[in-house]
Amino acid sequence: MYSELFHALPEVLSLTNFLAVVIGVVAGIVVGALPGLSATMAISVLVPFTFGLEPLVALGLMAGIYNGAMYGGAIPAVLLRIPGTPAAVATSFDGYPMAQKGEGGFALQVAVVSSCIGGIASAIALMLLAPPLSKVTLLFGPSEVFWVAVFGLCSIIFLLGGNVVKGLVSACFGVFVSVVGSDPIFGTDRYTFGQLELLDGISIVILLVGLYALPPVIDLLESPLKTEAANESLGTEPIWRTLPRMARFRKTWLRGSILGIWIGILPGAGGSMAAFMSYNEARRTSKTPETWGKGEPEGVAAAEVANNADTASALIPALTLGIPGTAVAAVMLGGLLIHGLQPGPMLFRDNPDIVFGFMWQFLFGAILLFFLGGSLATNSFAKVLRLPRPLLGSVIIVLMLIGVYSIHGRMFDVYLMLGFGAVGYIMDKLDFPLPPVVLGLILGAFAEENLRLALRIGRGDWSILFRNPTSLVLVAMTLAVVFGPGLKRRILGRRGTARQT
Amino acid sequence: MPDHRNHSLVRPETLTAIGLIAVSAGLLIPAAGLRPISALLPAAMLIGLLILAAIMLVKDQRKAAAGEAAKPMMKAPGRVLGAFGLIVLHAVAVDLIGFYPSTALSVPLVARVFGYRHPLGLAIATLIVLASIWLIFGLAMSRDFPTGRYWSL
Repeated sequence: MYSELFHALPEVLSLTNFLAVVIGVVAGIVVGALPGLSATMAISVLVPFTFGLEPLVALGLMAGIYNGAMYGGAIPAVLLRIPGTPAAVATSFDGYPMAQKGEGGFALQVAVVSSCIGGIASAIALMLLAPPLSKVTLLFGPSEVFWVAVFGLCSIIFLLGGNVVKGLVSACFGVFVSVVGSDPIFGTDRYTFGQLELLDGISIVILLVGLYALPPVIDLLESPLKTEAANESLGTEPIWRTLPRMARFRKTWLRGSILGIWIGILPGAGGSMAAFMSYNEARRTSKTPETWGKGEPEGVAAAEVANNADTASALIPALTLGIPGTAVAAVMLGGLLIHGLQPGPMLFRDNPDIVFGFMWQFLFGAILLFFLGGSLATNSFAKVLRLPRPLLGSVIIVLMLIGVYSIHGRMFDVYLMLGFGAVGYIMDKLDFPLPPVVLGLILGAFAEENLRLALRIGRGDWSILFRNPTSLVLVAMTLAVVFGPGLKRRILGRRGTARQT
Repeated sequence: MPDHRNHSLVRPETLTAIGLIAVSAGLLIPAAGLRPISALLPAAMLIGLLILAAIMLVKDQRKAAAGEAAKPMMKAPGRVLGAFGLIVLHAVAVDLIGFYPSTALSVPLVARVFGYRHPLGLAIATLIVLASIWLIFGLAMSRDFPTGRYWSL
């Protein structure tokens, strides 16, 4: 089962593929260090540019950006108390007080080592868990695949937290977008309104760039934040010299890695939740909880190890079932799709070199963090914060336009992207979750195709969807995801009232 | 001066819900002309959107009736509309006068309008952006960009 993993290694180590990971990590750290820009946005902008590239080069860039951005967010969190990414909020609790005490350099070194450990643990979890899971899913027929898609959509809506009605609106919108174009069986037009450009459907890349890249750019221009970057060198000593001082974080690293991996696998949860849980747990078990929040390096370690441990693990359900655990994983699924790689069990059977190579790239990306995010680089990356935000915004607009235009070489796609961008901005401001839209677009077409295939096999009999035990298990899991949180709240509420009375 | 944001019908969620109901109902009409199996998924989603938007509307109106103020959507509406307008203008300019001329105009314009006013910095940044795009996408990747409809008239 794991022999294919080692077969993929030589290809990953080729100069081009390895260089892609290096560039990705550097770009990711820069993006993560800029408040307002996230890994999701960077990968969304990058995806259209990867069309002409070899799949492993494209995936290496994405894996590198993801790993780099999760650490990069710690730089402004420590130096300015402005988290570069939402996942770095918990890092600022102790990182910023450390910087105020003149230990900013050490805080960033703790962050980079912890991020590296979290990323390595996550990549190993992906390598160990994804192949056996893919073997199981290979046994699925059309009705099971249909239920997997329904389960994926429901889990991201109901486990995401927040407003369920808005989550459902987002998912319905995403699924509706997936039906635009020719009918997969009869070939008749659906919602193309006579536009030839819509016959092949709406490319996921257009939706991704519109939803994830345009709203942050407008935010950048709406309130240009004036950041005063540290002008002086952080004066850090070589990272290897500080390693003995970090040895006491062993237990925190282990606990944070396990928490991060578990949260990454759960659909809907994300890096910020992993970081908060790990931080709270480490503080709860600390012998000196009173020092936390005042510059305790272990707090930085707890937050950073967990927010990097959910990176590769979020791809376990994404690669095996086509259900992404986080928004970045959803965007990465889009990246796989544009290279003709359909996430799911067939991916492991048909393209083992690519899928296992991708896993190695995650591992190397995490290891590279140690070398590229070290003391010298951290001093340089801290200066990234001096970039004028309006200028950055205008450059990103140009990149978005180039990327979307390059897909089919037509301006129609650019206008469509702007439309999705406007919708995405309104959704973002009104707290509609965006991942269900992307998942709806990916899984909508997938669910419809398999539903119709199952109905053809069953000669129009809908009971075929409930005939075998696997389908019934998936139906039960879906019902548990839909009704579970509500039931739990009701039971806890009753217990609370019983205690009060 | 009356507070328009708190008027029960101009609350952002209410307006969004009304918009969703109108668009979903409008899009249901073409579904009637499709085969039943082809219309199944789009119709289900549109009906779902109609119901969910109605729930959103009722919830938001209840909040309005209870005197709960609506959360403002933007910190600076003028800047948001300006940013979106300039992005659209850039796309239209690319279509009409071509990629390179419009980019040479829009990069410094957007940066200047939104607060970066250093003339030398703007000139250098525009030059770097244009040269990098030409080198990476034009020369190395052989990508073609729109040349502009205006010039081909």
